[in-house]
Amino acid sequence: MSKQEKKSFWQNVKEILYGMASHDMSRYALRTRASMEHLFILITMGDMIGIPILPPYYSLRLLPYVVPQIATWKRRLLREKDLSDAMF
Amino acid sequence: MTLKKIFEEHPERRYIMFGGKGGLGKTTFSAATAYWLAQQGKKVLVFSVDPQASLSDIFQQDIFGKGPVKIMENLWAQEIDADQHIKAYQNEIRKKILDMYGFEAVPEEIEQYIQAASAEPAMEESAIFDAVVDIVVGADYDYYIYDLVPLGHALYYLSMAKVYDEWINKITKLREEMREYEEMVSRLKREKETEEDQILTELQYIRTRINASSSILTDKEKTGFFFVIIPEEMILIDTSKAAELFAKFDVPIMGYVVNRVVPRELLQQNIPAYLKNRIEMQDKYLGQIKTMFGQQVAAHVPELERDVTGLDMIRQLAEIMYGK
Repeated sequence: MSKQEKKSFWQNVKEILYGMASHDMSRYALRTRASMEHLFILITMGDMIGIPILPPYYSLRLLPYVVPQIATWKRRLLREKDLSDAMF
Repeated sequence: MTLKKIFEEHPERRYIMFGGKGGLGKTTFSAATAYWLAQQGKKVLVFSVDPQASLSDIFQQDIFGKGPVKIMENLWAQEIDADQHIKAYQNEIRKKILDMYGFEAVPEEIEQYIQAASAEPAMEESAIFDAVVDIVVGADYDYYIYDLVPLGHALYYLSMAKVYDEWINKITKLREEMREYEEMVSRLKREKETEEDQILTELQYIRTRINASSSILTDKEKTGFFFVIIPEEMILIDTSKAAELFAKFDVPIMGYVVNRVVPRELLQQNIPAYLKNRIEMQDKYLGQIKTMFGQQVAAHVPELERDVTGLDMIRQLAEIMYGK
């Protein structure tokens, strides 16, 4: 029982340390990752919002994998004033 | 050097292409060459990448979109139906989306995109390009004869491989960078291995497809490209320009075949001035062809009394080109 408590105590310490030290970093990394995801969709599926992209044949192969992100991607591109804002 | 000798000296050149401006006889020479090779006991596939293909016409048999059709012993012919290929491909994509997410139907905007992408002009070329990969990586035949599209398209076809390759390289790089960020997050959160990136796997697959086809087109060892020309000024100018461009893409040019040469024997007969003038004009350009391409001219094919359709005419032409 005490061992169990001890473990959860260390677990807590770990989580606090993570929160202090690297939560921001991983949040930033995730944000960057998400921006890149949107950039990726733009350069593969750009035709969807009227930006002609080569070549559609192989873009279609990738389409199934980005289906869930399409809606957020479109929303994001419409929200941002400048594409470079979306990238960084 | 004669055509026959070229084939005998380079048995390793298994991918044979006839290219040139439209209507000069690419399909005819492809068919005759395929016929001759088949008679030599080689297993041959002659296929067309032209959406307006005419192999069906020359073999007098409807082969469009039917896969490889056996014409005679050792000889198969195929015309790729791009539309059919695209439709099957679209359905494959739809099915994948339904399977991956358990949807009942493909979401509307996704469906719209699938349809819009397929309406694009580059789509047909790409679909054919992709179908050709399936044909040539199969390696079921001793010889593959490409009945190419007219010159401009052929160049487009070749440059497309380069453009595709660069496009794939760029997005693969971005994808890899994304993966690094993902791994960083996993490390920070002390999670176990990140999932395999399926998109990256797809991209690598696409790249192997593109490279397979373009590497065959530009393979100096296994590929031979013939230009079909006729003794007329415009054709010569265009062909020498195209030859330069082809050389830039590293296409191995094996020779030039001169078509529609009016038989000189006619001069012995009492022929009208019209024909005499044509022969004189051709003489002038045949001279030019000799200085321009010299040893590379592999054959002169006379203007025949009738068009080449049906196996019997193809056989006659093959005898003219390769000897009896």
